[in-house]
Amino acid sequence: MKANYLPPVSHVMPLTIVRRDRTLPIAGTVTARLNERVQAVDVIAEAETAPRHVFLDLARGLGLPAKDAPSYLVRQKGDRVEMGDTIAGPVGVARRTVRAPADGRIVAVDGSRVLFEVRGEPIVMRAGMPAMVVSSDGTQTVTLETTAGLVQGIWGNGRMDFGVMRTLGSGPAARIQTDMLDINLRGAVLIGGMCDQPAPLHQATELNVRGIVLGSITSDLIPVALRLTYPLIITEGFGSLPMNSAAYGLLTGHVGHDAAVDARPGDRYSYQRPEVIIPLPTNRQTDVPDDVIQLAPGVRVRVLRAPFHGAVGIVRDLPLKAADYPSGLLARSAAIEIEGLGNRLIPLANLEVIQ
Amino acid sequence: MMDLSTTIDAETLLAVDVGSVHTRASLFDVVDNQYRLVATGRALSTATTPLLDIGEGVRMALEQIQTITGRRLLDESEGLIMPSTSEGAGVDVFVATSSAGPRLRAILVGLMPGVSLDSGRRLAEATYLEVVDEIGLSDRRRDEEQIDLILAARPDLILIVGGTDGGANASVLRLVESVALAAGIRPGNPAPRILFAGNRQLGAAIVERFGDQASVALAPNVRPGFEGEDLTPARNRLAEVIAEMHSAKVSGFDELRQWSGGTLMLSADAFGRVIRHLSQIYDPRKGVLGVDIGASHTTIAAGFAGDLHLSVRSDLGLGAPLPSLLRYSSMDSILRWLPTDIPEDVARDYIFNKSLQPATVPMELDELHLEFALARQVLQTALAQARAGWPKDRNAGGIPWLPPMEPILAGGGVLSRAPRPGYAALALLDALQPGGITTLVLDPHSLAPALGAAAAVLPMVTVHVLESGSFVSLGTVVSPIGGGRPGRAVARIKLEREGTSPLEGEVRLGQLVVLPLGPGESGKLSIRPERGFNVGFGAPGKAGAMRVTGGAVGVIIDARGRPLALPKDAGRRRELNQKWLYDIGALQ
Repeated sequence: MKANYLPPVSHVMPLTIVRRDRTLPIAGTVTARLNERVQAVDVIAEAETAPRHVFLDLARGLGLPAKDAPSYLVRQKGDRVEMGDTIAGPVGVARRTVRAPADGRIVAVDGSRVLFEVRGEPIVMRAGMPAMVVSSDGTQTVTLETTAGLVQGIWGNGRMDFGVMRTLGSGPAARIQTDMLDINLRGAVLIGGMCDQPAPLHQATELNVRGIVLGSITSDLIPVALRLTYPLIITEGFGSLPMNSAAYGLLTGHVGHDAAVDARPGDRYSYQRPEVIIPLPTNRQTDVPDDVIQLAPGVRVRVLRAPFHGAVGIVRDLPLKAADYPSGLLARSAAIEIEGLGNRLIPLANLEVIQ
Repeated sequence: MMDLSTTIDAETLLAVDVGSVHTRASLFDVVDNQYRLVATGRALSTATTPLLDIGEGVRMALEQIQTITGRRLLDESEGLIMPSTSEGAGVDVFVATSSAGPRLRAILVGLMPGVSLDSGRRLAEATYLEVVDEIGLSDRRRDEEQIDLILAARPDLILIVGGTDGGANASVLRLVESVALAAGIRPGNPAPRILFAGNRQLGAAIVERFGDQASVALAPNVRPGFEGEDLTPARNRLAEVIAEMHSAKVSGFDELRQWSGGTLMLSADAFGRVIRHLSQIYDPRKGVLGVDIGASHTTIAAGFAGDLHLSVRSDLGLGAPLPSLLRYSSMDSILRWLPTDIPEDVARDYIFNKSLQPATVPMELDELHLEFALARQVLQTALAQARAGWPKDRNAGGIPWLPPMEPILAGGGVLSRAPRPGYAALALLDALQPGGITTLVLDPHSLAPALGAAAAVLPMVTVHVLESGSFVSLGTVVSPIGGGRPGRAVARIKLEREGTSPLEGEVRLGQLVVLPLGPGESGKLSIRPERGFNVGFGAPGKAGAMRVTGGAVGVIIDARGRPLALPKDAGRRRELNQKWLYDIGALQ
């Protein structure tokens, strides 16, 4: 019987179709073509960073009354100019002229004032993984599709990169230490257990790693993680939480393979999650993951709170009667057969489906 | 008793409240000529991914009511059956409230600090907005810097206020110019919504200035004259705009709007409506306080003889925004509430984990203690900010304890999860620190928003249900105000109950005493305070007697002192917190 309950879902899938949007932070130009096969490092769109603006006072610049100045304007709204180009003038014997202070464009004319947009720094958006371009809006968003192994996490530091996966430490509960990080791991995506010290994270920076995927970090490392130049993803949460067995098995089972590490922080109102995508070309028939899975016997789940935080198990029963807990809580629950622990009752609210 | 045949011919009311974590449904029916709560249903909200559609969560909550009552509410196409049928299916009236939806970032633009900007800020703080910046006439930033900040902030909404009706034109239009220019050069990204709540004579000019660059909504002026402020009409319009913006990101609201005949209230506004109504029927010399601690917001509503002051903190909640609490409170100020030793790093990890998984619940007692410690600190922080906007004559000079309030209505998922009523009561006493005499009332089913929404359609529902016991009275609280050494005598108390011998004794400073008086019971409470202690009868040392009705906890004498001073020694503090939990019946 089902619980008439829709729990959150995380994907840990050995092979699936992965379709992802890559979106510029600001509108620009999509350079990738439809149906083009791209590599992780390929630029698929570009834009300029948020420009800054300057008001050019034509009256002051030309030495004219405000009502007369606009008639000397030689540009119009939307015109792109280079530094030094004439905007208005020349006027009078002295040939007074208002010129563009930098490369940019005219974005508005407001009486005798011209709003000038100084060109921002160029930014590029790379594919981040080998994939095919399946759609685009032409200015900001590109949709990529590939077949891949997929491991979704719970938090990331916002960076993105691509590299060969290597294991760090001896298992999903291993605390990473600086002496584990040697030159052989240079440029790799590292899979490990837990971290409670900043030193290994800084050491990894020295090795130019392309990403780190852990079960957990302690929350005091959040400021450190946010300043790292490589992506960092945690799969379980904050504290000392080993990586769940499903994710660890899938990731370490592909050591030596390339992986895209997209550590964008999760957003409950969009579909973005931090995740590791392991591109795996295949001729097998695959499908997109399910996002809606009802709780029912046989479904694989993960526990989201103490005392079994991170444990993976299978739903065996969904009792109708609410269970009571040491906290005094009375809650609808599921009987979960937890790996290595046997059957436990867990509140439905503390479960997430692992597909 | 009011003859219901003279009112709207409606016997069943269904109310739905869509929160960020839970969707709740409440069914009310006429029983013995009175509206009564019949059943509630609750499901996880589906406003977020993967569905981004509230409809599924609403249906699951309604299905629970169907299962409990046997009353069919949905037809074959999963539409609501309205009106109710002769076979007993469907409902006559449907109301809906919501607090679900992505956080909306806003920029406030106004003329003068202390005047329009303050009014605009109070308007924004009374609803689900996060104000990320303010621009005023005396802003030191140049026009182009203001444009750049608007572009960089990428607000969802720009709230513009300023100018009394018939007053300043040029200044307001000059401020609007930067906003309009920014709206016009925001390439590729949706333009922010604009809400203008200033000089109403400028409405048409403002709409024209923005043209097709941004959608402009007009609201009545928050300061129609220089002296007065009137936020309510603008608040209503702002609520409509926010609801529209939420609907643009999350589906399903249109259906609720249709079922409710076009009205879908924001939960905070509906909650505020109930508090305002209560403040009009209770002692006008005291205020009425409503608090709601949600996952994504904390709402503080204070009503003073019909004058409502509403504060909604979108950066304070026990779910996703929980880490923001650390901007206002140290870890020590959170840990001080704990009765057991939980290391600081464990507590910090808990805060960040809870923000990632807001729907999870505590299985272990330590986690429950931690959750309630956080609830106390969230509530205290939100209250402090809300009080800054209360009328000066009601804020009692900013005293560190609560000015006279009666009753105090408290809601929110965390409080409804309290294992025993005393647990919730102690959390409220610690966080709010009422002074004098008040009554604590718990809203375990989150009915207050439903009743606020129903008040416009079926006003008797609100009255009947408030009197019916669907809210849980925790009990009367007496909190003496006065100082001295711990152990000093504070008051002599005597509780006389029918059919039993009176209870009397002396209360000392530092004690938390509960006198047994259960729900439905009543008695006479006499208090004779010692010199220097004000127990709420008008002056220090003044004795008095009052009729009291019982509650789930009883009559609570909170003589721990105001403001509550916890021991500096952590071990002693934990012992005291533990003792108080036992004293109030929160632990067995």
